[in-house]
Amino acid sequence: MQSPQQILEMLRTAFAELFEIDPTRITPATRLNEDLEIDSIDAVDLIDRVRRVIGRKVTPEDFRSVRTIGDLVQAIERLSKG
Amino acid sequence: MTKTISYCWRLCATALCFAVFGLAGLGLGLVVFPLMRLVPGSRAAHRRRVRATFRMAMRAFVEFMRGVGVLTYEFHGSERLGRPGQMVLANHPSLIDVCFLFAFTPQATCIVKNALWRNPFTRWPVVAAGFVSNASTFEMVEATAAALREGQSVIIFPEGTRTTPGQAMQFHRGAANIAVKAAVVVTPVFVHCDPTTLAKNMPWYRIPPRRVRFTFRVGTDIDLQGFRNAPPPIASRAFNERLLQVFADGLWRGADEAPVQETGASKGLIS
Repeated sequence: MQSPQQILEMLRTAFAELFEIDPTRITPATRLNEDLEIDSIDAVDLIDRVRRVIGRKVTPEDFRSVRTIGDLVQAIERLSKG
Repeated sequence: MTKTISYCWRLCATALCFAVFGLAGLGLGLVVFPLMRLVPGSRAAHRRRVRATFRMAMRAFVEFMRGVGVLTYEFHGSERLGRPGQMVLANHPSLIDVCFLFAFTPQATCIVKNALWRNPFTRWPVVAAGFVSNASTFEMVEATAAALREGQSVIIFPEGTRTTPGQAMQFHRGAANIAVKAAVVVTPVFVHCDPTTLAKNMPWYRIPPRRVRFTFRVGTDIDLQGFRNAPPPIASRAFNERLLQVFADGLWRGADEAPVQETGASKGLIS
């Protein structure tokens, strides 16, 4: 339903609003932990945001192997296809 | 000579306290709480009864420790603990300070380390009382926020572990994050333990040279207004800084000062 590009745009908005991170820093290769300093508490709020945007129940398990923005886009794509 | 006798007595009494704690944990978890499940009533009613019993047991244990002479304690402001949706935050200088917090906070739940689910003496009580595990950050945040929204009180050690003596405090942002989302009121409790006993990595038999004195002071509620407009990650960072400042100030006042009162700014010598 959503293209990877649309998901990336959604994430840019989310990271700007939640963490005040400049959208230009959000690229598929950006690492969440090392580059953006997203910790496990931030991840809770990020997952909550994703849940609201895609309107589906998500669990931390769905994001277990996510390391980069690219991984996150893929995970969201998979989830929204359900 | 009297010093040696005192030391030996306190060493034996400390061993006795650990034994009593372990046996009480087994007794409550394997006998008392399961029997209480036979009493008819909803799950919430059962949990209330379990927590009331648990609190009485902790109070009895605290008085037992005082009675055998291993410690003395003062607890100022306990009447302000146990309000609906209250997050009670405390520093954690010693293994046993949590016993006092449970003894004086009605109907409290607590975020406790996951290891307690694997310890035979604590496992059944923590299950029966419905405490929250820190194993998964996601579930910890969700479960604690839900408990607060339901009107339960929650005891949290924002350091996530015992305080390291002589070092600046560091808080995990979990407590601040949950607070800005779900707490009705946030109340600090400043704990002093003199001399240090049962700090992190201190074996039980390394008892202090004299009887330990615990002081608990319930501080003024920390205002959450102004931290609720920003999204949680930003708000929780700001609130975490505020918490660190509150604890730095509150602990610096020391155990000997009068209990914190709900007054305005204190006046110094030069006003």
